[in-house]
Amino acid sequence: MASVPATAGDDNGTAALVIEFKNVGKIYKSLLGNSVKAVEEFSLKVVEGEILGIAGPNGAGKTTLIAMMLGYLRPTTGTIEINGLSARQYIERNGIGYLSELIAINPKWRAETALVRYATLAGITHSEISQRVGYVIDLLGLAEHRDKKVKALSKGNLQRLGLAQALLRDEQILVLDEPTHGLDPVWTQRFRDIVEELRRPDRTILIASHNLDELQRLADRVAIIDRGRLQRVVSTGYENAPLVAGTRFRVTLASGHDLIRAVFPQAEDAGRGEYDVTVHSLAELNAALADLIGRGVLVASVVPERSVLEQQFREAVGESQ
Amino acid sequence: MKRAASLARYSLWQFRDFVFERGVPILILVFLWGYVLLVSLRNAMGPQMAAGRASPIWGLVLQAASTLVSLSVLIAVNGIVSTDRKLGYYRFLFSKPVNPVLYYAQFFFVCMVGVVASMLVLSSLMRTILPTFSIVNFLLYTALIYVAMGGIGFFLSVATRYDWVSLAAVWLGSRILRDLYGAKSDWRSKTVELLPPVHKLDEVANSLIGTGTAHATDVLWLLGYGALFFVLGLVALRWRSLAD
Repeated sequence: MASVPATAGDDNGTAALVIEFKNVGKIYKSLLGNSVKAVEEFSLKVVEGEILGIAGPNGAGKTTLIAMMLGYLRPTTGTIEINGLSARQYIERNGIGYLSELIAINPKWRAETALVRYATLAGITHSEISQRVGYVIDLLGLAEHRDKKVKALSKGNLQRLGLAQALLRDEQILVLDEPTHGLDPVWTQRFRDIVEELRRPDRTILIASHNLDELQRLADRVAIIDRGRLQRVVSTGYENAPLVAGTRFRVTLASGHDLIRAVFPQAEDAGRGEYDVTVHSLAELNAALADLIGRGVLVASVVPERSVLEQQFREAVGESQ
Repeated sequence: MKRAASLARYSLWQFRDFVFERGVPILILVFLWGYVLLVSLRNAMGPQMAAGRASPIWGLVLQAASTLVSLSVLIAVNGIVSTDRKLGYYRFLFSKPVNPVLYYAQFFFVCMVGVVASMLVLSSLMRTILPTFSIVNFLLYTALIYVAMGGIGFFLSVATRYDWVSLAAVWLGSRILRDLYGAKSDWRSKTVELLPPVHKLDEVANSLIGTGTAHATDVLWLLGYGALFFVLGLVALRWRSLAD
């Protein structure tokens, strides 16, 4: 298993603890007395400099967890501390860069005006507001939309406006809930580049997403939640992740197709020079590839059928999800 | 200190929101009902309009003016907190270093300034028709009713999603229950004493708008009731989740 402790600090004693979820639970109660457990006994530590992904199927409790982390919802049990303060206390003192899953900005406001308002509330000085707003408008490619009313923006542009307001201040903590929802492929890639640029030793970033590929690329660790419970915390790096027995890779060859079965006897022909092979360790895969290359075969690409994270996710929440 | 300064600067945006979302409907109401009614009255009554408080028209003018104030307050505090919760605007607003209690307390007072400014327009127009009409007295009455009625509206906006309906129901319900049971001497009359002091309004309107004076106990009762609910609203805002 590539599961790692729920405390990154256990692995890296030097990094300072920033966010701590202590046995957090949330139960929604209806007027009729029915109750639903949205989050249960959730404990996790997030350290400075880390990008933590939060993954889970629909209704797993990701958004409830984030709402509690921002102090918008009170946990039924447990506590959430940010830099030793209660979540709400911390945010009221310092602010946080937050992109919500639902972008709720008054539709009558103009895009630039909305950013100026948020910048004012964020405590950016009057003299710096235009510079800072101009910066995020350029960063998120909103220049041609700056005078449009929010209601006139497309889903993708609204998403970018939401991200722009989260980046107005140089925040120590960023919380991004489904950040690429509605973005086209170009802006999805641009978003990933922006997050990489935002990574720095004193900044902590939380990203909740359905998109496992995105989390695999961006996050250092991913907390997998299902039915309100933390199922496991996964390190996304291959170096910490022994392959699950029987991992499949798709190998694409540019030449030497007839030699594939000499090295991978069980290889399945997927057409167009692509073969699906099953290995049990990275060492076995690398040895076989070296053998192929040694025989003069040109290997064009080797891609795992499922990422480490995807394998872990499927194990944690079940194949049915 | 810096956070307080930022929030104070944001009051200009809140005032702009008041003007476009609440001020314009209030002014439309003022023109359509208040001014148009008064012009029609002047045309019908002729020189009697100038007779001041002795004129039989005075009671009608007072009634129209005080009703307009109540409706303006209803419009001003409608959704003052609940709209941000219902539509999710709180998410980005309060991820910034802002205390929601101070944010909404400030907005409450910005709306008060807006309502008083709107009533300044109305009273200036009324004075052109009725020279004895006192602008200052009318604005004092407006401020009093804003605190008395707006304070309850603020609390309801924190506590419920349907605040204007709740406020109208509380206001009207109190009036009806007081009319029905206020004069009796049983437990019901004691109970209705706990309801908003809407029965004081006519008397206070008559005396405050007419003469600029009013019974201190009536004014304190109205102010105290509204202020108490405003503070309860702030406490509820501190302890209630922003998200539903």
